[in-house]
Amino acid sequence: MSFVTQRPLELILARNLMSALSTPAFLVDEGGLLVFYNEAAGLLLGKRFEELGTVGPQEWGSLFGPFDESGEPIPYDDLPIVKAVRAGRPAHAEMTVRSTDGSSHDVEVSAFPILTAHGSQGAIAVFWPSLAGANGNGAGPA
Amino acid sequence: MKVKLWGTRGSIPAPGPETIRYGGNTSCVGVTLSDGSVLALDAGTGIRCLGLALPDEPSRLHILLTHLHLDHIQGLVFFAPAFRPQTEIVIWGPASPEASLRDRIARYISAPLSPVEVRELPCDVSFRHCPESEWEIGPARIRSASVSHRGPTLGYRIDDGDSSFAYIPDHEPALGADLDQLEDDWISGFALAKDASLLLHDGQYSDAEYPNHVGWGHSATSHALSFARRTGAERTVLFHHDPLHSDEFLAGLGKEAKQRWSEMGGDPAAIELAEERSEYELPVRASRPVATA
Repeated sequence: MSFVTQRPLELILARNLMSALSTPAFLVDEGGLLVFYNEAAGLLLGKRFEELGTVGPQEWGSLFGPFDESGEPIPYDDLPIVKAVRAGRPAHAEMTVRSTDGSSHDVEVSAFPILTAHGSQGAIAVFWPSLAGANGNGAGPA
Repeated sequence: MKVKLWGTRGSIPAPGPETIRYGGNTSCVGVTLSDGSVLALDAGTGIRCLGLALPDEPSRLHILLTHLHLDHIQGLVFFAPAFRPQTEIVIWGPASPEASLRDRIARYISAPLSPVEVRELPCDVSFRHCPESEWEIGPARIRSASVSHRGPTLGYRIDDGDSSFAYIPDHEPALGADLDQLEDDWISGFALAKDASLLLHDGQYSDAEYPNHVGWGHSATSHALSFARRTGAERTVLFHHDPLHSDEFLAGLGKEAKQRWSEMGGDPAAIELAEERSEYELPVRASRPVATA
């Protein structure tokens, strides 16, 4: 008999918490797969997670940017959430993300790993409105 | 596989004339496998009577602990086989980054809370953290998974032949989540209970009581029923009764649960409230495939 597979409890609890927050937040699994983002992040990006579904690392990068201060795409390996998953350490950066309506938002992103007794299970990235952003339309509570 | 309920109460023992039917002992379930060997699920005060019912002969016993709250370990120092040198006891439980399973249990089995220390137990006792993967005890395949409760807590699934038994006595899967909307793999404990022949699940609170206990790690009746419906368990027994719930109250809650289950399209005979000393014999059935997500 094969058992049904299931998300680690820590990811389930993280998603439940994120669902209740008004701060935009992303959740990725241990492989870097974007497995959830909350309603506030959906407002920021212009698309609800239910519309997008689970997407791989390269796809969500191309959907939303992000870009550095000079407008260049930030390499996947340099994203805070990717650093958090791989190194098991928190990471922080300023960046610009693109919404599906074409608008851009300057944000600061804080990412931290989800470490458990069984090792790293993923990471959470929280988006904060940038205090220094040129666009002046950073991520804020929805 | 036979399942016998030796303790159905949650939180603290609740003996007395008002709890005779559903019982006053805290969580303990005995499982007799197809080869005759016995597993104990949790070691609340109910394990005392389980120990007295076991034959006094050399044996190897496994105790599977969901977590270390007192209502799940209080009976350990009153478990008769632990005081027989010819008995080997293996205690399984959740890992914690803070201390080993043995050290955490020893906080209870030590002075001043206990007259004996772990090292003084006459039996041959060992402690093992549950592995991430499935493992075998006799003819049974065991699987554990972390579930939503306070502190490191496991649920268990035991497969023996074609029968399966899921045991999730302390569980709040609806905390911050809508069980009717979530995808299967995002529901705490889902994989353990999927298509189980028998599901023993937390049903500590009525729906009216739950709002005052959000985040305490337990389920309301409607949450337990939603979980049962989502997982497709063939038979569900609501367990871990609140110590304030009398037989009269629980009888009413049981009727309400059956009614609601019927309204959800289920067979009311497939839902009941746990009664101490109840026994369930899980039928051998034709194998059926289990879908993987």
